[in-house]
Amino acid sequence: MKSTRRQFVVGCSAAVAAMAGTRLSMAAFATEASAGDALVVVFLRGGMDGLSLLAPMDGPDRAHYVAARPTLALPAAGSQALLPLAPPFGLSPAAAELYPLYQDGRVAFVLACGLNHDTRSHFDAQEFMELGTPGVRSTATGWLTRHLKSTTPAGGPVLIPTLAVGGSQPASLRGDWGTVAMTSPDHFNLDTGPWRWRDAQRATLRRLCSGGGAAVFTAGNRALDAVDIVEAMLGEPGPPANGVQYPETEMGRQFRLIASLIKQDLGLRVATVDVGGWDTHVAQAWAPAEGWFPTLLGELSASLAALYQDLDGSQADALSRRLTVVVLSEFGRRVRENADRGTDHGHGNVMLLLGGNVVGGVHGRWPGLAPEQLYDGADLAITTDYRQVLAEVLVRRLGNPHLSEVFPGLVAYAPLGVVRGTDLPVD
Amino acid sequence: MRQRLDLLRKAKAPDRSDSCIDLARRVRELRRVLGASHLQVAPSAPSATVAAASGTRVRRRLGGRPSREPLPALGVVLLNRLAYGPRPGDLEAFASLGGDDAARWQRWVEAQLHPATLADDDCDRRLAAAGFTTLGKSQAQLWQEHHRGNPEWWVRVQPLLEVERATFLRAVYSQRQLAEVLVEFWHDHFNIYAWDYIAAPTWAAFHRDAIRGHLLGNFRAMLGAVAKSPAMLVYLDNWSNHVAGPNENYARELFELHTLGRPGYLGVRRQAEVPRDALGRPVGYVDDDVYEATRCLTGWTFDEETGAMAFPPDWHDRFQKWVLGRYFPPNRGAAAEGEEVLDLLAFHPATARHIAWRLCRRLVADDPPQPLVEAAAAEFLAAARESDQLARVVRVIALSPYLYGCWGLKVKRPFEAAVSALRASGVELGFAADDETTDAFLWLFEATGHARFAWHPPDGYPDRQEAWLGTGSMVALWRLLNWLVSATDATDRPLLQAVPAGVPPTSAALADWWIQRIFARSMDADFRREIVAFLAQGRGEHIPLPVTTDEATEQRLRAMVGVLLMSPQFLWR
Repeated sequence: MKSTRRQFVVGCSAAVAAMAGTRLSMAAFATEASAGDALVVVFLRGGMDGLSLLAPMDGPDRAHYVAARPTLALPAAGSQALLPLAPPFGLSPAAAELYPLYQDGRVAFVLACGLNHDTRSHFDAQEFMELGTPGVRSTATGWLTRHLKSTTPAGGPVLIPTLAVGGSQPASLRGDWGTVAMTSPDHFNLDTGPWRWRDAQRATLRRLCSGGGAAVFTAGNRALDAVDIVEAMLGEPGPPANGVQYPETEMGRQFRLIASLIKQDLGLRVATVDVGGWDTHVAQAWAPAEGWFPTLLGELSASLAALYQDLDGSQADALSRRLTVVVLSEFGRRVRENADRGTDHGHGNVMLLLGGNVVGGVHGRWPGLAPEQLYDGADLAITTDYRQVLAEVLVRRLGNPHLSEVFPGLVAYAPLGVVRGTDLPVD
Repeated sequence: MRQRLDLLRKAKAPDRSDSCIDLARRVRELRRVLGASHLQVAPSAPSATVAAASGTRVRRRLGGRPSREPLPALGVVLLNRLAYGPRPGDLEAFASLGGDDAARWQRWVEAQLHPATLADDDCDRRLAAAGFTTLGKSQAQLWQEHHRGNPEWWVRVQPLLEVERATFLRAVYSQRQLAEVLVEFWHDHFNIYAWDYIAAPTWAAFHRDAIRGHLLGNFRAMLGAVAKSPAMLVYLDNWSNHVAGPNENYARELFELHTLGRPGYLGVRRQAEVPRDALGRPVGYVDDDVYEATRCLTGWTFDEETGAMAFPPDWHDRFQKWVLGRYFPPNRGAAAEGEEVLDLLAFHPATARHIAWRLCRRLVADDPPQPLVEAAAAEFLAAARESDQLARVVRVIALSPYLYGCWGLKVKRPFEAAVSALRASGVELGFAADDETTDAFLWLFEATGHARFAWHPPDGYPDRQEAWLGTGSMVALWRLLNWLVSATDATDRPLLQAVPAGVPPTSAALADWWIQRIFARSMDADFRREIVAFLAQGRGEHIPLPVTTDEATEQRLRAMVGVLLMSPQFLWR
């Protein structure tokens, strides 16, 4: 009987530790076709300033935008001008790495998205969004946990169905105990002890964790499995495909890890990435591509583009066809900049999607920047509930029609056409 | 012996579904621990079950390993549940407290419930040596020196930084261990994300006056102190609760988290529909109670000049209200109405159950035994106006047979694991504000997700094992524990004094010495063999090792201690 790669890995991780020093080698094991995309959810913590990612280049809103942002408005002309998207919008030059993918139809922006709940609290907004239950923070599970529970993956057991990088396990995965969570792959090891005996330590620890029904044993085993796998994936990673270069930063390595896991076919269904640093009340930018915000946006764009290109290929079964990335943040920022070249907490924001079956372009309804069009007189209004975008991804890309379970309280399924796929009858 | 038998009888729960109380197992374990020859089976115990359990199948094994650890000696359990694990010498001190376990148990708990009677010179000396300068400042002083005038960020966070380090220092070195365990508990109960604009500069006062000042005192007094702290007023937004723009954030969490608890919330119903208890009180609260309490607390704020409580009259909603069945007449002001709301909540039976349940969950089991929760809640209510109310409640729990019998139904959270590793291993950290080794320790600790005073949501750090046994938290904790054994101080001196004098330097002797030192109890025989083998690396276990002359061997000894600290057994609580 032919072992699949996953069965091999599931069965042998204890042996992996015993064979200290050797790496997992999976070349001999057949790849198993997986159904459903790998979903990567990138959460920008702190409230990403969507108006510094995507902004009007002309029309009446251009004047409102420039008036509200005397120092932060991105120019519509010149060497650092916005890169034209569907009129009248343009993309920040700091996100230039994504532009070729946009031109290829792999990147979609959804305008004026967000959490339809009156809060400007980071904590409330993040938690409501990630639990998927606006206004209710006692929900025991995150929306991704409910997605994972309400569908069964094709192809039997999986080793790493969910990966969370960049912080502690996010609220969207609350209640999912199978998640491999790490602040950074750089620190996902036990290598803080005496270096000579690291392998021997792990082998002994593995035996101390083996057997036993109590949770401390199974948890120890699970953690050691995860360490083995992450090490095997990252220990001697082959070069990224297509000559791709990830940024030489922690964020770059996080995205590279996700690509490795997808390539290794370990059954990755959901990966979350937390990227902090977007709460830019002060000194947000000095120029369109200079300063804190543009640098962070540039790093993010380069990481996203590298992830996609690393998985890309000309064949019909290219992994990029099974990749859907969703980038969101808890809220946008105030239209008017503050006195410190920064922006304060706002409301509506832009969502970004990237993937082989994303319908490239600019989607959603723009509510306008005229003072009377703003939410609470100050912020971009919300015209699309962020859950509608996620629901469309669930149905069309992940084959999960159980929307009432994942997003209880979402009134009706109303896809915007941001991704390709079949609209199953939802329940 | 009578007391032991009483203890055994009490340990027999009426509720068979109770996960703590598998009577047969308890009998077996208590028999072993307390001396089988003197023990009779409790009269109502089904003798067939006991016989089967105490027969040849000594321990139920799963996959060749015990599914749970045998019940350790009483002192070990108390020191792991009501303290942060034994330090060298603690068990000997416990043994000297009396002639039998019952007497020792009683005396140890009483002393811990009267922390001022416990000399704490070593801890005081360490606190002084750490050079903290803000811990004694009054709130008014903190306000002026660390908040007013918009000082540099490090000035603003200095009080918090010092409390963070002092909290570790006291948890590791203080003799008043139960008090430190309760500090952790109450900071979770009245959770505030402290790395913030107002909380950070005032943290020394909040921690000292609102939390430490009431640990073993009166709940109503503590609730009031918390409610008037600028840290809480800002964290849950009541500082801006104004008649013209009410903010219900604090009022809602005051009901749901601080007092009546979620079981006391009856949802979206009208006040008139809520059933009454025998004394005519509503049995729980509804949204309307939250709204009405919000109105009572309009204008319950602080003075930006001084940080002291202030009640600007024109901020307050002056009309009549109706909270938890109590009529509030108009025109009384925020001060009087706020205090009355706190009275109503603090003395409500649902609050007693909620606090009792949370305490039992912290000290006994993730799903605490209901009879114990009820006993603690009854004490909470009976002593509601006493100045030692909380000491009385803790006493009920601390002396309960459940506290002993439910061993292993908690795992150490990262803070407990890190602190108990320092206590057991003898690794010495200074915790001074400018100590680089401490910085490294705290950096590694933060990755576990249990950094002090840094939980954003108002419900406090999770207190169930699932939250801490995820891969991320486990690996981060392992990294910290493994780091401890090879960390050095600023002069490159090792923190772990690796080789104790007088112990033969053989694999077997060193392994046994360290097993006893780290766990204060024995290790499963198969596991012990692994530890000895790790140290021996193929040599005979009685052959002397060159631990002082060979660097690789010395490192191996450290690595072995690292494995003991990372082992599942170390996490039992």
